[in-house]
Amino acid sequence: MRTTILARMVLTACLVLSICLSQAYCGEVWRTEFEEACARTADVMTLSDNELKVLIGRCERLQKVIEQQDETARKVYLKRLQMCKSLYVYILEAKNSEKTQK
Amino acid sequence: MRRPLFVVLVLLVGVGVAWASGTKKRKLPPYEFGGVTINNYSQQAGMPPVVFDHWVHRQYFTCRLCHVDIGFGMTAGATKVRAMDNMKGYYCGTCHNGRMSVNKKKVFEACAKEYSRDEFKRCAKCHALERDAAREEQFYRFADAMPKERFGNGINWEKAEEEGLIKPLDQLEGVSIMKAKLKVQQDFSLKTKVEGMPDIIFSHKKHTVWNGCELCHPEIFIGIKKGTSKYSMVELFDGKYCGVCHDKVAFPQTDCLRCHTKPV
Repeated sequence: MRTTILARMVLTACLVLSICLSQAYCGEVWRTEFEEACARTADVMTLSDNELKVLIGRCERLQKVIEQQDETARKVYLKRLQMCKSLYVYILEAKNSEKTQK
Repeated sequence: MRRPLFVVLVLLVGVGVAWASGTKKRKLPPYEFGGVTINNYSQQAGMPPVVFDHWVHRQYFTCRLCHVDIGFGMTAGATKVRAMDNMKGYYCGTCHNGRMSVNKKKVFEACAKEYSRDEFKRCAKCHALERDAAREEQFYRFADAMPKERFGNGINWEKAEEEGLIKPLDQLEGVSIMKAKLKVQQDFSLKTKVEGMPDIIFSHKKHTVWNGCELCHPEIFIGIKKGTSKYSMVELFDGKYCGVCHDKVAFPQTDCLRCHTKPV
């Protein structure tokens, strides 16, 4: 009887721990992804059209993940993400219009 | 006969006074220049509004750090910061967390759910009921040691950095993204519309060193190709384009020769 209770307790603890860890891990994953996707704003003018398109795509996917975060994180990171995504879009459009003018 | 004339005269004087007080901007004293009053939720929570002084913060941090990495908007009240956000370590709470130190001085903690009468003094550092004379004195002591400027708060911040008097931090560990070195775009000239006024030399270097790229593009400046966007001084004085920062925090646009610098 005691063994069963102990086993149940251990199992519950493991379950709780795994949930906590997975949440923390997911939190870390999107933040790392955000840092990578927005890391190129300083040298944005050196990026090719393809590189810009890839980064814009990553930002769009990330937006959906950030929209699921708590209110404060969502507010801060959506603004930060929007700023870097807009810059990539802006540079891509500028490059394209330059090409068409030539 | 005289009475209607008197009424008309009183009305005219009234309209004149109302017009003048409505359009004339009060010239701010140097210590108030760059001050922002934030009152999204303060008064609802029974607190005075927050009075934010740019001069206190810009001696330690670049504009980019707060307006890009921390996420503060560019207009007063646009960010809608709540006490809870600060307590979670965002916005003001990024630095005002009771752990961070600047110049070996601990940065006081922002916002708390509960506080004692003694701790309320800490709240009053930001939620200011009225102008603090000690703060004003602190400003003048700081400004005395800085290079002088004709307008605004009387401090030439650009020169202050050049001379090493201030060393604004551009990155915060755990908040900023570690990036490659910024590739500075070339300076360019903008033709003036007024005869006799020198053309503008726009320095990308001066601006990117404190702002990065994404703070201005594309939200403030949409056109990337020189000459695509036409700016008028009316729009600038109305708070658009350069006027988003200049006049409010950066040196005022009435100091014409700070921008119109191309030799004639």
